[in-house]
Amino acid sequence: MAGRALEVIDVFAPARGATAVRRTEWHRVVANRRAIAGAVLLLALTLASLLAPVLAPYDPAEQRAAAAVRAPSARHLMGTDNFGRDVLSRVLWGGRISQLIGLLSMAVSVTAGVLVGALAGYYGRGVDGALMRLTETVVTFPTFFLLVTLVAVFGASVPMLILAIGLTSWPITARVVRAEFLTLRERDFVHAARALGAGNPRIMARHILPNVVPVIVVAATLRVAYVILVEAGLSYLGVGVPPPTASWGSMVADGRQYLFTAWWISLFPGLFIFLTVTTYNLVGDGLRDAFDPQRTGRRAAGGGSS
Amino acid sequence: MREYLIRRLVQFVPVLLGIGLVTFLIVKSAPGDPVAMLVDVSLLSQEEIARFRDDLGLNAPLPVQFVTLLKELATGRIHSFRTGEPVLALLAQRLPITAVLLGGAIALSLLLGVPLGVLSARRPGSWLDNWLTTGALWGISLPAFWFALLLMWLFAGVLRVLPASGTGPATKLTYGVLDMVPYFVLPIVVLASGLLPPIMRYTRSSMLDALGHDYIRTARGKGLSETAVVYRHALRNALLPVVTVVGMLIPVLIGATAVIESVFAMPGLGRLVVEAAIGRDYPTIMTLNFLTAVVVLASNLAVDVTYAILDPRIQLE
Repeated sequence: MAGRALEVIDVFAPARGATAVRRTEWHRVVANRRAIAGAVLLLALTLASLLAPVLAPYDPAEQRAAAAVRAPSARHLMGTDNFGRDVLSRVLWGGRISQLIGLLSMAVSVTAGVLVGALAGYYGRGVDGALMRLTETVVTFPTFFLLVTLVAVFGASVPMLILAIGLTSWPITARVVRAEFLTLRERDFVHAARALGAGNPRIMARHILPNVVPVIVVAATLRVAYVILVEAGLSYLGVGVPPPTASWGSMVADGRQYLFTAWWISLFPGLFIFLTVTTYNLVGDGLRDAFDPQRTGRRAAGGGSS
Repeated sequence: MREYLIRRLVQFVPVLLGIGLVTFLIVKSAPGDPVAMLVDVSLLSQEEIARFRDDLGLNAPLPVQFVTLLKELATGRIHSFRTGEPVLALLAQRLPITAVLLGGAIALSLLLGVPLGVLSARRPGSWLDNWLTTGALWGISLPAFWFALLLMWLFAGVLRVLPASGTGPATKLTYGVLDMVPYFVLPIVVLASGLLPPIMRYTRSSMLDALGHDYIRTARGKGLSETAVVYRHALRNALLPVVTVVGMLIPVLIGATAVIESVFAMPGLGRLVVEAAIGRDYPTIMTLNFLTAVVVLASNLAVDVTYAILDPRIQLE
């Protein structure tokens, strides 16, 4: 009943708008605090893997049968795996490959997405139609199956993974960038630039693109999160990063057999995937809110789709 | 409506051909001889290898091979490279598991995701909203295979209330559908963990949009109960974007079955894709890609039709 009474007051109170604004602002502070926490943690994770050669207590590939499947202890903070390799050292080194693939695939994906989106949005008509059909086709494809096929057929290698993941995950970026170009191409400064004799490539690159940078940065950050998950999934299935290299996904797979006896083999690498992806998502969401406060909390689920 | 459906179905054709062509070209540009993957070539004479290649149709020019494959696909006479079985029989055998997983995950995500999103939107900025939003963020950041192992460890290892993997009790020779139910609980939960957060987030944001409209104020003003306002007036309008999200995520969800069926050792379609890809079983790979594309296109169409049913203002033309 109390809730009911409040709603009734709400209907008549002009203050409703005011509270809504205050709530949004408060929400934004929280969101930013989260984003900042995410950024700090992300920085720490990145530094830890960059400094892996210094920080890792053991050689990540060194196998010692005598020390196989040891529980976490002072000597091995995260225990050892079935080959006696130190899990902590492998987790630190694994971060390098995950972040490398994540960032480079994102670069491929965002470059492709921006190109397609810019051309479609700027030229419109036939170009737009053709490029959007292409985008729809790629979206329709269960890309994960395509990736498994690609990698299985051509053999897994890091450059192959980067290209394959990058070239199957650009549609979302293309759609956002297209929408921006569609609206911006009608703006006065674009007409002015054209009147001054600027050519199409120059208008797109020098006049419109800088205005789209915030959107691209947000898309790129969220894309890294998605791409790291995809790489981990492929590596888990054994069609990702090839074996001698420590990768988080394949480390989780290594521990699958020992799940009930040696949980630490799978737990820690998975935890690091989760933390890394969460922090990229936090930073991406925070950036979106910061660039576009109007949409705070409205748009959602960046990392969940391809 | 009928014309619309026909036109949409016609539009499927180029997309399907494109997908078939891409898969075909990928598979064909692969290094290595598929014959070498199937048999030990060192045991065969040159003529035998040539005859084998001929039997598999590998000597024909590429366009001919492609058309032959399409024909076989259309008539259902396509056979697996590895086992020689008709691919369609293989699919029929594996489809039910994947269908149950997908159906269960979509149902679970909608049943939980929509109410949670509504709850979140009714008190934006409250502690409940903050926790739900944070939970959704965690949800989209979870690697499915790791989450699966965590749940398996907890429910099968520690609590011992659910089986770890497989599709039925290994101790019995024959078992009924009821015996299989516990085996599907964890896989469905894991699959849903990828779909539920986006559904929740979209429900929340589109509810926030809907609740800000004038017709909500009107509904409140004429004294309707809050439940009626939220569920009958706001939610009905807010559901449209949610339907779209489900449609958009179906390809992702189908892809996720590859990982989840592998973790839980379930012989479904997702795992078949991985097996076929590793074994370079071209006909199976192509059929599977085709089939999933058809499912995705059909579900997109279903989404558009649902849209028109939910919102009478939308005219399908």
